[in-house]
Amino acid sequence: MDDRLRTLLDAKLHADLSRRRFLQGAAGLTTISVLGLSGGEALAADGKLGGPLNFFGYDGEQASNVAAPFLKKNDIQLNASFASAADETLTRFKTGGRGSMDIMTMNKDFQRSVIDAGIELFQPLDLARVPNAAGLFVGFKDANWLVRDGKMYGVPMIWGDEPCIWNPEKWSGVPDRYTDFADPKYKGELVLLDDPFGNIWLFAKSTGAKDPSRLTQAELDKALAALITIKPNVVTLGASLGDMADVMIRGDASMGLGGWAYQTVIAAQKGVKLVVGSPKIDDRFFWSDAYTIAVDAPNLDNAYAFIDFVTSPEANAALATELGSGCTVEKAYDLLTPEIRALYDYDIVRKPGAGILGSQTVVPPQKPDGDILGAQSWVEAWQTFKAA
Amino acid sequence: MSTDTPSADPASVGPASGTAAMVALPLSPAGLFYVVFFGIPMLSLLVVSFWRAQGFDLIPDISLANYQKIMGSALYRGILLRTVGIGLVTAAIIVPVAFALAYLMRFVFERRGQFILQLILVSLFSGYLVRIYAWRTILGKQGLLNSALQWLGLIDAPLPFLIYSNIAVVVTLTGLLLPLAVLPLYSAMLNVPRDHLEAARDLGAGRLHLLRTVLLPMVMPGVRTAFAFAFLLAAGDYVTPSLVGGAQSLMIGNIIADQFRGTGANWPLGAALAFVVVAVTLILYLAVMRLIGWVTRW
Repeated sequence: MDDRLRTLLDAKLHADLSRRRFLQGAAGLTTISVLGLSGGEALAADGKLGGPLNFFGYDGEQASNVAAPFLKKNDIQLNASFASAADETLTRFKTGGRGSMDIMTMNKDFQRSVIDAGIELFQPLDLARVPNAAGLFVGFKDANWLVRDGKMYGVPMIWGDEPCIWNPEKWSGVPDRYTDFADPKYKGELVLLDDPFGNIWLFAKSTGAKDPSRLTQAELDKALAALITIKPNVVTLGASLGDMADVMIRGDASMGLGGWAYQTVIAAQKGVKLVVGSPKIDDRFFWSDAYTIAVDAPNLDNAYAFIDFVTSPEANAALATELGSGCTVEKAYDLLTPEIRALYDYDIVRKPGAGILGSQTVVPPQKPDGDILGAQSWVEAWQTFKAA
Repeated sequence: MSTDTPSADPASVGPASGTAAMVALPLSPAGLFYVVFFGIPMLSLLVVSFWRAQGFDLIPDISLANYQKIMGSALYRGILLRTVGIGLVTAAIIVPVAFALAYLMRFVFERRGQFILQLILVSLFSGYLVRIYAWRTILGKQGLLNSALQWLGLIDAPLPFLIYSNIAVVVTLTGLLLPLAVLPLYSAMLNVPRDHLEAARDLGAGRLHLLRTVLLPMVMPGVRTAFAFAFLLAAGDYVTPSLVGGAQSLMIGNIIADQFRGTGANWPLGAALAFVVVAVTLILYLAVMRLIGWVTRW
């Protein structure tokens, strides 16, 4: 099975993961050789490493290519299993996973909500055991989804955004608002990601919701109505960001909403020019993922050593390249190719609090909160859109 | 101890219990497999379908709320109807085509039947996703079919309905499931002696009469299996509508999958939806089988 098919399979099994997965395999190995990664110098508190390391999180973020030399050198067996969404980690933890999970990966919105709710899931990190974390961009050192009461709960490994991607032969740019995509001139040209939260958030913002991540029923109805007005123009919903790129590369659609800057690189490799941008008024949303260590992690030494290794500039640059994402380590930036470096605006993460990454929330509350609807209502609204 | 109890008469029960053991022993691995990997998970899912989801938690409950929600929701009813429609249309195409193919292999190209069967089986060697992806390549705006039609001058612009439409879903499912339907039909036809058909013809049966009253009743087990493969697998699929169905071809499998993954997932509702689908497809399957049975007796 070639990589594109593997991506499609992955897309169906892990719908929101393919950004992280897309370039696994040969590309990752190439990156390692280019950057000359070694096994690192990490040592446990007692000087010994080895044995199992249990990973649960987004596929690709286990860094099995990037960390291969480290794992081999230290005789660590990485046992990775994957979540299709961050809250699956909590489900796994609460249904027998506690005591067997070491490293978990989290997206920023979920991590923030866990910290805010005081839910027992991941432990504060002993940064003395992750010396490479000192090299993180300044924005990540005090980010509100990572740090609380002076304690750091996660080490970010990648970040990025979800802008519009389009074919410049068909379009010279994007309109100012997402609701403008209802114009009949876009008929048969749009592709969206099959993602309830990203799309509803974008259209809630476009229809003037006060806080697009905390919607009342009226605001959700308004966003849904706006989404339904663009439905006649939508060709298909990409099963993943990789699938979405494929739809545009094949010429089945020419405008992707809530896409991935790296789709332009994938397209260029296939001889198709795509460009990236966002509606002037509505803009786009951002994300970031981090490594955390589970409460009662059984292989703490291995977990700390692993996180420290993948936070080295070389490993972080390799992982960001492999996953088509932004790097989180200042010195990793210098190791990126100009093409990968240009995908994201690094001024964001050079600001204390990580600018918009820190201030923006995309995922709705898991449970209803007074008039504010919970995630299930968003999923149901998205299904209504899909069925419309 | 009474001497007239069945257990006291080894001559009368020995062979019977021996036969039962002979039957049970080879069946036990498959039976055990089904109990562990089908029965218990299905039972668990059934139990969960009466629970409710609240935030990150599943609340054990005994409530019909999920089933009531499904029955009362125009969204779910509409998608279920669309799913059943696509399943029936797909099966209505696949079963006659597979029947004709099996007939040709058995009675017209009898000596090459096995060879044709191997060719059909070869198509199964490629993975399920590979074949869907191949159909996307064939049906796309710039795919093989549109390009060929444009090259032949039959169309000026790509036919948009060939991809990302219900038609694309039915065509792809037909391509995927046809080999599975040919196998049971061909197998059933191998058990039909040519003499029977010739005798019926000699007695004056016309083609349609022969088909309806002789051939179909004799291959009914194969028809049932072929229909079951075609209808149940088509109605239960969710990858095909995702990849070639586009924005208008949501099927119930996609809705169920949404309930089991990601933030906002609702496992109890997903489980209830799954059981509603099982019930609806089972009822439809039995109805269609009864209809075919009625036609062949008529």
